[in-house]
Amino acid sequence: MATTTARTLMVEGQPIALDPEGYLVTLDDWSERVAEALAADDGRDLTPAHWEVIEVLRDFYQRFEAAPAMRPLVKAVKQSLGAEKGSSIYLMQLFPESPAKVGARLAGLPKPTNCL
Amino acid sequence: MQLHLLNRSPQSTAVYRDLGEAFGADDQLLLIEDACYAALPAASGVIEAFGGRVSVLEEDLVSRGLAGRVSPAITVVDMKGFLALTETHERCVSWF
Amino acid sequence: MTNIRASDIEPQDLMVVLRHPPHGSHWLREGIDVALVAAAFGQRVGLLFQGDGVYALLEGQQAGALGQKGTHPQLAMLEMYDIESLWVSAAALSERGLSIDDLMLPVKPLGAEAVAELMQVQPHTLIF
Repeated sequence: MATTTARTLMVEGQPIALDPEGYLVTLDDWSERVAEALAADDGRDLTPAHWEVIEVLRDFYQRFEAAPAMRPLVKAVKQSLGAEKGSSIYLMQLFPESPAKVGARLAGLPKPTNCL
Repeated sequence: MQLHLLNRSPQSTAVYRDLGEAFGADDQLLLIEDACYAALPAASGVIEAFGGRVSVLEEDLVSRGLAGRVSPAITVVDMKGFLALTETHERCVSWF
Repeated sequence: MTNIRASDIEPQDLMVVLRHPPHGSHWLREGIDVALVAAAFGQRVGLLFQGDGVYALLEGQQAGALGQKGTHPQLAMLEMYDIESLWVSAAALSERGLSIDDLMLPVKPLGAEAVAELMQVQPHTLIF
């Protein structure tokens, strides 16, 4: 993948390369510390509710080699975490703006391609 | 009622077979670009499956030097005729 | 193999016909991408596997020799996009010596007349 590095984020003394939209240039750079640093950089706090969705996202990518758009994300969360959390309203509260995009970024996935 | 557009030569047998399978009783086939070669009498075996509902685009025939060689079973249409076909069919489907 | 009859076919907002095999060209991936985008926007999408497109459904596919992504994870993902109307040309399968049991997804086999009927009832069709 030929992604350009727009800036780097220092995490535990290591420079982490980010593309112009803030996604990891090298997906293997991801760790929980990196996710926290990405969230802090946005001014977000990661609660256990965020972490369980991040885990769903990473599992989705493992299975399908792609980051989900909103509808499949809602479905995947519903399957893993139950119907109450598998709703766009719940996910919008956790990741305002765009759960699919913000979630993918924090989970160290590429930008979802088939999404607004 | 669909208008199928096809742009591959009759040597690309797979696309003719798949199109033949999808071709409905009221459908029409228009041969364009390299599919013009299917309008020659030598390709009548490939064209038979489309029940005489086959046209070929004149502009593409002429540029390939095929104008006088079209099989009598096939209707030659110009750009206006092409347009008329798209208007009389519910939708167009492109095969390539 | 029981073939689906034309009367069992429900029209979708969009039908995508996949007629190219995996790995050899970008056509299959592009067709699946179009289906996923449409489904992400809430359209009901159906897929018809025809010709060499039936090879996309074979069990046991892997990434390419140079690590190029295959299309099988994309197909496995269809369910997450609620793309569940999946049809396959029965003739294309049998010409290639394949049966439904060789395939990775629950697709419905269509006889030749049902394929033509399917094309008639779909309001929008794109061929890849």
